[in-house]
Amino acid sequence: MARSHTVQKLLRTEDLRSTTVERPMNPTAWGVGWRPLFWGCALVLVANTFLWFWNYAFMFTAGLNSASWEFTLYYRTLFWGELIIVGVFAGLWFGWLIRTGREIVDQPCTRAEEVRRVAILWSLIGVTSLSIYIEASFWPNWDGSWHQTMVRDTALTPTHIPMFYFFFPLSVVLAVGSYLYGRFRLPAVYGKGKGFPWSFFLLISAAVLECMAVAANEWGHSLWISEEIFAVPFHWPFVIYGWLASGMFAVWGETILHLFDIERAEEAAQPEAALEPHVAAD
Amino acid sequence: MAAGTTTIAEAAERQRRLELKELLQKRYRWIDWKWDLVFWVTAIFVVAGAADITKQLFAGDWDFWTDWKDPQWWPVVTAFATIIIPSALQYIQWAAWRFPTGATYTSLCLFLAVWIGRYFQWHVAESYPLNFVWPISTVCAGILMDWILMKTKSFILTSFIGAHVWAIAVWAYNYVPLAPFLQPAQFMDHVLTVADVQGIAYIRSQTPEYLRLIERGSLRSFLGETQYVSLAFAGTAAFAGYWIGQCIGRYLAVWPIRRYLKTH
Repeated sequence: MARSHTVQKLLRTEDLRSTTVERPMNPTAWGVGWRPLFWGCALVLVANTFLWFWNYAFMFTAGLNSASWEFTLYYRTLFWGELIIVGVFAGLWFGWLIRTGREIVDQPCTRAEEVRRVAILWSLIGVTSLSIYIEASFWPNWDGSWHQTMVRDTALTPTHIPMFYFFFPLSVVLAVGSYLYGRFRLPAVYGKGKGFPWSFFLLISAAVLECMAVAANEWGHSLWISEEIFAVPFHWPFVIYGWLASGMFAVWGETILHLFDIERAEEAAQPEAALEPHVAAD
Repeated sequence: MAAGTTTIAEAAERQRRLELKELLQKRYRWIDWKWDLVFWVTAIFVVAGAADITKQLFAGDWDFWTDWKDPQWWPVVTAFATIIIPSALQYIQWAAWRFPTGATYTSLCLFLAVWIGRYFQWHVAESYPLNFVWPISTVCAGILMDWILMKTKSFILTSFIGAHVWAIAVWAYNYVPLAPFLQPAQFMDHVLTVADVQGIAYIRSQTPEYLRLIERGSLRSFLGETQYVSLAFAGTAAFAGYWIGQCIGRYLAVWPIRRYLKTH
C-alpha cells in the first residue's frame, strides 16, 4: 500500500529517533508526548476567552432582541461561525487521523513510541476534560445568571450560542477524535479486533447526549416552563451527561494498565536498562 | 492449631507487605511522576464539571441566591445533589489507590469551579453582588466523609454514617456565612430578612418568586423544628445520593476498564 507523504515523514522521523544514540527520545518529556496537552488546552482557553469577552461586550447592546439587526450581526454570525469552525476542524482532524491511521495501524513501533502515543492520548483526554468543564460549569453559570434575569425571545440566546453550539459539539469532536487516535495508534488497547471500548462508548455517549439534551431544553422552555428554574426536570438529562463522562476514568485506567504491560515487556527484554528510568529505549 | 494458623497468617501478611514495599520502590522506565501530575490536574476539570452540573441542575436555584437558602428545601436538595460525585470519586480513589480522599478532592474541584463561575459570570458579567450569589462549600463535609471511610473502610458504613454527617456538615458549615443574611430587616413596613430584601432589590425577571413558594410549605407548621426535620430528611436524601454516586464510580468509571462491546 502506498504511504502518504505525511506518514512517510512520520516514519522517517521515528527511524531517525530510533537510531540516534546522541539524542535519545524520552517519550514522556514535556515537549514530546505531552505537547498536545499544552497546545490543546491553550487553544481551548483562547477560544473561551474570546467568547467570554465577545459576550461581555455585546450581550446587553446586541443580545436582548433577536429580531434586531445587531443580534443578527453579532450573534447569528457568531452562531454560524462557531458551527463552521467546529465542523471544518472535525473534518480535517478526523480525516487526518483516519487517513494516516490506516497506513500506520499495522506498522510495528517501538515501546518508546507506544508510550509517547499513550501520552498523546492522555493529552487529548485532558483537553476533552477541560472542554467538559467549560461546557458543564463555566458557561452554565453565565447561562443561569443571564436567563434568570433576562426574558428570552429565542433559543439562540447570547449564552446558548457559545455553550450549546461551540463547546458542546467541540466536546463531541474531542471525544470522537481521541477514540480515533487510540483506534489506529494504540491497537493493543483499542484495535478493531477488540470491539468498541465501553470507556469511549460512555464518554462519546455523554457528549452526544449533551447535544440531544439541548433539544429537550429548548422544547421545555418553549412549550412547558419558560422561566429559568435550573432544577426543572427537562434540565436533568444534562446531569446524566456529567455522570456518563466518568468513562474518562476508564480510559485512564485501561491505558495505565497498558503502560504497565509495556514496562513489563521492556523489563523482560532489557532487565538492566529497565531499572534506569527516563532513558529512552530507542 | 490456632497458633499455627496465626503464624501462617502473620507470615503471609509480612510477605504481602514486603511485596507492596517492593512495588512502591520499583523504578519504571517510563512511568514517572508526570503521569500522576497530568492525571490529577486534568481530572480536576471533568470532576469539577460533573460535580457542578449535578449541583446546578438538581439544586442550583437554592445555591444561586441567598434568599433561596431556606430551612425547608435548601438542606435537602443540596445534600442530595452535592454528595453524588464526591461519592463516585471516593470509590474511584479508594479502589485505585486506597486513598480516602475522593470526597475532599471533588469538593475542592467544585469549590474552585463554582467560585470561578460566580465571580466571572454572576458578579463581573451580570453585576450581582457576591454577597447575594455566593456559593456553598462542601469541603468540610468532604473531609469528614473521607475520614469516616478511612476509619470504617466500608462503603456501607460510610453511606449510613457519612451521608448523615454530610447533610449536617453542609448545612452547619454554610449556615455561618448565611446567618447574617437571616437577620430581620424592616422593608416597606414589613419585617423581612436581609436575604429577602436582597431578593426584592435585585430584579430577576425570569425566576419565580420564592417567598410565595415557601409560604405553601406545610413544614412551617412545625415552626422551630422545621430545620431539624429537614436535616433528618436531608441525611436520607444524601444516603440515596451516595449510592447513586457509588453506581457512577463502580459501573461507569471502573467497570468499563478493558471491557469491549463486541461488534463482530
